[in-house]
Amino acid sequence: MRAFRRQKGQYVARLDAGERAVVASVVADVAELLGAGRFEDGPQPGTSSPAHPGAPEGWSLRTAPVPPPQDPAVRRLLPDASRDDPEVAGEFRRLTEDDLRARKVARLRSLWTSLVHGEPGWPEHALVVSPQAADDVAATLTDLRLVLGERLDLRTDADSEALYDGPETEPEDDVRAYLASVYGALSWLQESLLAVMLAAPDGGGGGRGRSGG
Amino acid sequence: MDEATSTADAWVTIVWNDPVNLMSYVTYVFQTHFGYPREKADRLMRQVHEEGRAVVSTGNREAMEVDVQAMHSYGLWATMQRGGQ
Repeated sequence: MRAFRRQKGQYVARLDAGERAVVASVVADVAELLGAGRFEDGPQPGTSSPAHPGAPEGWSLRTAPVPPPQDPAVRRLLPDASRDDPEVAGEFRRLTEDDLRARKVARLRSLWTSLVHGEPGWPEHALVVSPQAADDVAATLTDLRLVLGERLDLRTDADSEALYDGPETEPEDDVRAYLASVYGALSWLQESLLAVMLAAPDGGGGGRGRSGG
Repeated sequence: MDEATSTADAWVTIVWNDPVNLMSYVTYVFQTHFGYPREKADRLMRQVHEEGRAVVSTGNREAMEVDVQAMHSYGLWATMQRGGQ
């Protein structure tokens, strides 16, 4: 795996076939947790079609409460908007959860497609991210890491620091070691993407403003 | 009394610390979504990291819903509440 660098106006990392397969499967897993079907090759449904085409922004068929997700990893992706006021949390979930879910799934699908199909005109190991898409890719890498972090029981900053120190975990715990190595690689990849994004002429503060998204 | 009416509709968005989000990413999100200068975004990020939480925006309830939804889209955990609580 090679970190993101700026190349021909794009942000380009390098992942070999095995690395692509691992990351793509994590992407598909997280999408599945969010209720998307398993990503597969073949015709793609509209990647960014709104749940209700033509409907005004903020419109929702939801009138009944949406229960919070049971899986703590999903709940971390779609968290409560209040710690102590069920009315606020419930109203927020009713208004926003469908949109958030759809948005996260669309971003995951886009990254999955890049990982599986590559970018025409680039070497097959290149993961090519346009500056316009970098924001979505960075957010998606966050979603992947949030789910892995939940499965790794990362609760405090000390937990995640201990993870990087490595051999604290029992060597016989292969699953944990695997998840930790994927988490570490994705953290490193995301950090490198942030570095090239922030080094760009309009990096950060580019002012998407309160776009709601 | 005027103050009471003017703050009646005042809400805040709070971002909570978590062990996953990268410091550079949190700063980037504050710059990008709120349009804060680098220094302010960095200061808020450090406040979240060191104090466990920071108020990142204020406004009416609808505006805070927009901000909280944006934070959740970015993978930050944000909540909203009436100001002064």
